[in-house]
Amino acid sequence: MNTGYEWLSILMFLGFFILLMSGYPVAFSFAGTAMIFGLIGLSVDAFPLARLLLLPNRWFVIMSDFTLLAIPFFVYMGAMLEKSGLAEELLETVGILFGSLRGGLLLAVVFVGTLLAAATGVVAATVIAMGLISLPIMLRMGYDHKLATGTIAAAGTLAQMIPPSLVLVVLSSQIGVSVGDLFAGALVPGLMLSASYAIYVLVVAYRNPLLAPALPLELRTISGRALALRVLKVMVPPVLLILAVLGSIFKGLATPSEAGAVGAVGTLILAASNRRLSMKVLEDVARSTARTSILVIMILFSSTFFAVVFDGLGGTRFVTQFLTDLPGGVLGFIIVANILVFLLGIFLEFLEISFIVMPLLVPAAQVLGIDLVWLGVVMAINLQTAFISPPVGFSLFYLQSVVPKEVDTLDIHKGAIPFMILQLIILGLVIAFPEQTVAWPVEYLTRPAD
Amino acid sequence: MQALLKLSRGIDFAIEQFGRLSILLVPLLIAVGFYSVSARYIGREIGRRLTSNAIIEAQWYLFSLLFLFGFAYILKHNVNVRVDFLYAKWPPKRRATVDFLGTIFLLIPFCLLAIYVSINPVLSSWGRLPNGTFGMWEVSPDPSGLPRAPIKSMIIVGFGLLLLQAISQAIKYAAILTGTVKEEVASEIETYQAPAVE
Repeated sequence: MNTGYEWLSILMFLGFFILLMSGYPVAFSFAGTAMIFGLIGLSVDAFPLARLLLLPNRWFVIMSDFTLLAIPFFVYMGAMLEKSGLAEELLETVGILFGSLRGGLLLAVVFVGTLLAAATGVVAATVIAMGLISLPIMLRMGYDHKLATGTIAAAGTLAQMIPPSLVLVVLSSQIGVSVGDLFAGALVPGLMLSASYAIYVLVVAYRNPLLAPALPLELRTISGRALALRVLKVMVPPVLLILAVLGSIFKGLATPSEAGAVGAVGTLILAASNRRLSMKVLEDVARSTARTSILVIMILFSSTFFAVVFDGLGGTRFVTQFLTDLPGGVLGFIIVANILVFLLGIFLEFLEISFIVMPLLVPAAQVLGIDLVWLGVVMAINLQTAFISPPVGFSLFYLQSVVPKEVDTLDIHKGAIPFMILQLIILGLVIAFPEQTVAWPVEYLTRPAD
Repeated sequence: MQALLKLSRGIDFAIEQFGRLSILLVPLLIAVGFYSVSARYIGREIGRRLTSNAIIEAQWYLFSLLFLFGFAYILKHNVNVRVDFLYAKWPPKRRATVDFLGTIFLLIPFCLLAIYVSINPVLSSWGRLPNGTFGMWEVSPDPSGLPRAPIKSMIIVGFGLLLLQAISQAIKYAAILTGTVKEEVASEIETYQAPAVE
């Protein structure tokens, strides 16, 4: 049944974007728009007041959601690795390990980026950390600015794609699939992305060594047994920890929040056994975890209000109808959804997009019989691309904020282009081969252990 | 204006304490979460039930307290995602205008609405019956679970704190706009702080 006020819901979206552009915080822009259009909706009788009275119940569902409970745990893991300095040590060690290769430092960035991505799941943090740690060395070594910054931006952005990630947890709650399935679905495409970056940097460095020279011998301060020992010490524990966390979620041995709690304690022990734990680190990690988790839930509370009003005005039905009536069925839907999400990804972060767009795409996807896990993964790769697309990608801005002055902003943006193309290729592959890239890994990885 | 600023400082101080409480809840939440999962596995090994629904539910109770007490705290510290292509380049006064108007016309009404719509569900959770008398309070449907009424009431507390902080922010933005505080001081008021998520 149509409410006759669908046009109000479209206006509501426009109002929301205008408010966002004014620089007003995203969390309150959702609620603010919902306030105004809720009052309008009530005054024209588009929906009854009872609809707004449902809000506390919706919020209470968020509070008691065990999936969202995983958020503070995963954020804690990443924050601990970073603030304790373990991440930095990891990057140094891997840099020395691959240093003898042409483009070795780039390879190290891709490798550590993938690992940190698995641990942290917060894009801004990963890009900034790797930019601060690895860029100065690469510049001293005469690495090409475009190649170096492009690699850092692309590898840092993997944080949202490689499980376990904060973003995938939120996404799974928005599209209504299990976190384990979404993690498993994102794993292969995420690794494909990181492999494609690695191959690319190696090929470029091989063809033109001047762009990314090998580390000279005097900078490879340790080698042989000492290096092997150090690799064992700094690399193996975090890798094992991440595999254990992921594995226990996939095999159903632990819920995501349980695995997260164990992972958080694991990173704590890791930091302590490396003598990197101090009161200051503990406090910084707790503060950072609290702030990030509170912000995510604040946006969620606020966007729930937005969704209640938007739905009341008939907006959800209207969008579903539009998306299912598109020519070309599933392919038409996927193309439009991708363009939509890509455009939004230019000025919104993944979190907000999964709050705004996913609830609109899901009903249409269900009508069309699309696998929701696959849809989530496709959207994640798409956003990965939007994040590093010049001239407005978020990761490029994050990186820009920490690069030394000698690096030209234009180079950062130019450097991202090859990686963007790689991502579009992977996006195409995942859309063309859903069976091999997403469905099969999900089935294989989540098969119960016994 | 000076009296208002004093009020604002008082609110800021109180909210800061709630923020500290939220931060302290992080290690506590991790400890309970870790205990809950280890107790489940160890208990299964030794054939005794070491965990209970109360402990499982305590996790999301703690997390709920953490973020409900924290809403006001992140507003105070401007931990926020902003689309700031324009905003970041504007002079402090124009930024303060956006924030002042938003706080007065959007955020404060939102807090009031959130409190208003929550009152009835919370009262009925405490056991209020349609005839106005009170019966049993709402408890978890699971055996040995926790009572629901207190944690539901925290929704009102959370939005109440957010309302207070919104008032404090509005006073500070107004002080910048009227020139009561100088621009150097204005920057200390944290009208704008870039990093959204640490």
